[in-house]
Amino acid sequence: MAASETLTRLRYKYLPEHLLGELLTKRWIDNVVPFFALIVAIIVFGTLIPDFFSASSLADFGRQVAEFGLIVLGLSIVMMSGGIDLSVASIFTLSVLVSLIGTNVEAWPTPLVILVTLALGAVCGAINGYLVGYLRLRAFLTTLVTLIIFRSIYDILFLSMSTAIISGFPDSDLLFFIGEGDVLGIPFSLLVAAIIAIVWHVVLSRMRPGWRLTAVGGARRSAHNAGIKVRRTVFFAYVWSGLLCSIAGFLFAARLGSTGADTGVGLEVSALTAAVLGGNSIGGGRGSVAKAVMGAVLVLLLTNSLVNLGVSGPITSTILGVVLLLAVFIDMRWLKHRNRLLAKVYVSPAYLTLPPAPDTTAPGSPYALNDKLRNVEIIGLGEIEGPEDVILDRDDNLYCGTRLGDIVRFFGPDHKRSEIFAHIGGHPLGMAFDRAGNLLVCIGGMGLYQVAPDKTVTKLTDETNRSWMSVVDDSRLRLADDLDIAPDGRVFFSEATIRYEQEDWATDALESRPSGRMIVYDPKRNYTHTDIPKIIFANGVCMCRDGQSFLFAESWTCSILRYWFDGPKKGKTERVISDLPGYPDNINRASDGNYWMALLGMRTPALDLAMRMPGFRRRMARRVAPDQWLYPNINTGCVVKFNDKGEILESLWDLGGENHPMITSMREHRGWLYLGGVSNNRIGRYRIPGADPNWCGQDDYWGPAT
Amino acid sequence: MISALKRAYANFRGFDTERRAVPPMEGPLKPNTALDDAAIALTLPDADNLVATAGGLACSTGAELLTLELRADPTRATPGLAVAGRRTLAGPISAIASDGADALAIGLDGGGITVLGGKHDGRKITQADGTKLTCVTAIAFAGPDTLVVANGSDRAKSADWKRDLMAKGASGSVWRIGLASGTATRIGQGLAFPAGLAISGSDILVAEAWRHRVVAFAGPDAPPRALLEDLPAYPGRILPASGGGFWLSLFAPRNALVEFVLTEDTYRNEMMATIDPAYWIAPALRSGRSFLEPIQGGARKKLNMLKPWSPSWSYGLVARCDSRMHPLGSSHSRADGRVHGVTAIAERDGTLFVAARGSGVIVALKASRLAGGAA
Repeated sequence: MAASETLTRLRYKYLPEHLLGELLTKRWIDNVVPFFALIVAIIVFGTLIPDFFSASSLADFGRQVAEFGLIVLGLSIVMMSGGIDLSVASIFTLSVLVSLIGTNVEAWPTPLVILVTLALGAVCGAINGYLVGYLRLRAFLTTLVTLIIFRSIYDILFLSMSTAIISGFPDSDLLFFIGEGDVLGIPFSLLVAAIIAIVWHVVLSRMRPGWRLTAVGGARRSAHNAGIKVRRTVFFAYVWSGLLCSIAGFLFAARLGSTGADTGVGLEVSALTAAVLGGNSIGGGRGSVAKAVMGAVLVLLLTNSLVNLGVSGPITSTILGVVLLLAVFIDMRWLKHRNRLLAKVYVSPAYLTLPPAPDTTAPGSPYALNDKLRNVEIIGLGEIEGPEDVILDRDDNLYCGTRLGDIVRFFGPDHKRSEIFAHIGGHPLGMAFDRAGNLLVCIGGMGLYQVAPDKTVTKLTDETNRSWMSVVDDSRLRLADDLDIAPDGRVFFSEATIRYEQEDWATDALESRPSGRMIVYDPKRNYTHTDIPKIIFANGVCMCRDGQSFLFAESWTCSILRYWFDGPKKGKTERVISDLPGYPDNINRASDGNYWMALLGMRTPALDLAMRMPGFRRRMARRVAPDQWLYPNINTGCVVKFNDKGEILESLWDLGGENHPMITSMREHRGWLYLGGVSNNRIGRYRIPGADPNWCGQDDYWGPAT
Repeated sequence: MISALKRAYANFRGFDTERRAVPPMEGPLKPNTALDDAAIALTLPDADNLVATAGGLACSTGAELLTLELRADPTRATPGLAVAGRRTLAGPISAIASDGADALAIGLDGGGITVLGGKHDGRKITQADGTKLTCVTAIAFAGPDTLVVANGSDRAKSADWKRDLMAKGASGSVWRIGLASGTATRIGQGLAFPAGLAISGSDILVAEAWRHRVVAFAGPDAPPRALLEDLPAYPGRILPASGGGFWLSLFAPRNALVEFVLTEDTYRNEMMATIDPAYWIAPALRSGRSFLEPIQGGARKKLNMLKPWSPSWSYGLVARCDSRMHPLGSSHSRADGRVHGVTAIAERDGTLFVAARGSGVIVALKASRLAGGAA
């Protein structure tokens, strides 16, 4: 191996390039830009401004963040619902005034003040909500009008009450604590805001009301069609916005104890800047508490620091405006290009070198070419689409899955008539009968299911344990592929890959990354666990006759492996075959004690070479349309028989794939071999010369029927 | 420096600076199944170099020169063909031209030109003005004593055309050779595999395969003038049509993956060094014969069908062009077809015979079918 190739191999082994694409699939990746902007701002202003990190300035900053953050949060909630709330600043100032009237003028007890203030915020929000949500007025104009109205009310009340407010003095320890107090060194108001933020984070990201809110903002009509009460959701978004603003107003009043004619002027622009800067989409449907908090801190940091540095007010406002413009621009570009970027970088091929393929034309080769599968009997021609696996029961009935999500049963012994045995959805793939005669099916995109003889469908499992270091959530089963059942009832099944859906299996071939796994489901404990991670496309599974191990196919390395789940070699994996001329799919038992294996496609020298050049494949994935990509040659059908020492005994071919291209499974039953293919429209039936005419897989596994 | 940066940026953004985007088959080149529907006149493995001669047709398979006779077939609209004579020459035949009378000029792959019959019978030409004619891809008589010859490449034989393409060969040349005097005049050089020739008045038309175009030379060493560019397939032989204009055979389709591989030097060199040319990512005269051939995503059989629009390494295409080489119409054999790799065409008695070397058949089409509107 050349030195440069060794370098390539090491690079692709240790540099986790695929993580970039996986990170981009995460929703929180939007936060990266504001997060780094925040870090940069802290570093810049921290060095420019003396005493930036002193306890007193941090505490003061914390209290401001609490008040401003709540306003931004309220605005963000409305924005997520697809609207906008310009009246946040007016509701805030009105709340400040009402709080001060309560404390300084009327001398109400503090809890009453809180209650009245919150009620005021809720009412103001409800007015907005009713107008925008139920009467369906334009959010921008409506809240612009309420902004003016609430502000005017403030101005009128402030004129008549300002003297009384200034002359009065609240005598409440509670109020003082709320305004100035600390808990463990943290300003109390910051603590309150933090708790509110955490609750909202949970609501928005983990709970139904939050998801509905985002759904309404993302696609109003779809949300309506999905049965979400759109108007009510919008209404409550404004109510919550008003409430959060009034909390901010109360905290402000408690801290300063006074208000002025310019309190809250221009605050809506700052809040809007903060919300957008944090990454909340103006169009709705995309946003989070983290974004609101980051935006709020960033804007507050900017304005406070500029004031500290002696920049005049109008210039600060101008800078803020420019920042808002920039944030809107970046938001738009990001939204537009994110998916394109993801599509470009997600496919991340790995380095893979395969041993030389056996020469199928060599004299005496067990792979000797023939056309034995060319002219086989055909079952269900045109009636079924995509029988990935086939299986037969003791009564000679033939079962197969179809891409329409059905399991079709052809009645024995002639298989002329058929019925839909069960409709499950997804694409049923590997199948096996358990001891009780239930049909267990791996379903691409869904998981492991069971169909009882009386046709009832039960979901057995659709998730496994999440691995610690995975970026994508690998607990859900994406592509459960094939299964087999141990004598004690444990089900071992393969998940081909966690990075792609079933339709994109060939893209996984292009990547050839260890992203498949072998999973065990224990029906006694209803427990699912990943037994063998990091398989390069885990495919067919077949129990060995020792009852302690099974064989499984690792497709893209052209290998068959054996895993012991019991006995003295428990937990060990051994490679049985590693140089197949094609990519192995399902493995099943043969009547003579050996095993059948389907090769879903054949290796080609051009693709083998490309496997050693990940950069070539990555560029191909970016530059060339997917239907022009290099694929395994699946237009040939091949089934081989091998023994548990890994020796190939014989091969059956359909060269050119006239009847059976891409054979993905085969099942021996009473002297015949039945052939399935994931993209074929038929099942084949080949008479095996000399095979036991009474052998049935179900009996071989579980003994004769009782 | 600036251009290097520009190239790096274009490469990063994936801009098509080298015109590597494969144009769609549309307009006059819209796909059909005319070649597949045509009657098979003769099944002949490796049929190539089909030309109309004074008495009938001639063609070659390997080193064998075959004379063919037309046989009227009352059940079909077009006549069939039958082999009337065979003669084995010194080496594989790469081109044949007829002067319309007795003489045939025959290009031998790697071995120059031999004239059979006529007044120059037995004349051998192995070099032109110092350039060895080792890759004679096309010959045309410009008069009873003058030949125009296309030498596809300085480096490769005609049979190794695939290697010349994947090595980005551009060492072809076109010559005017006097049969009596033996003098050779160079018409053009540095051509990317001239694969077809035709004489049109004072112009010499040359199909420059690897640049997917047909160019015209007005005289010796005159700059080439592009007549037809951006073809979706590699152009081969050009034949003057009886109704005016030309027939153009295109022997293999262009393919986005091949164009991509042409930009990938490491992969391409490794592929050429270690893999049998039959299994390269490269155009071919025939495909789908072995499971060792690479396939592309769109060429997977779905529900047991190979879709006709699948990307394919081979294809069958003949275009009818007007006198300025503008296409007027075309006959196709698509990815699932059985008339692939058209390397030669000949017209006789109103019938166009199409030799598909890839599929090993000669099919017959009514020449008038596509002649409509020919200028």
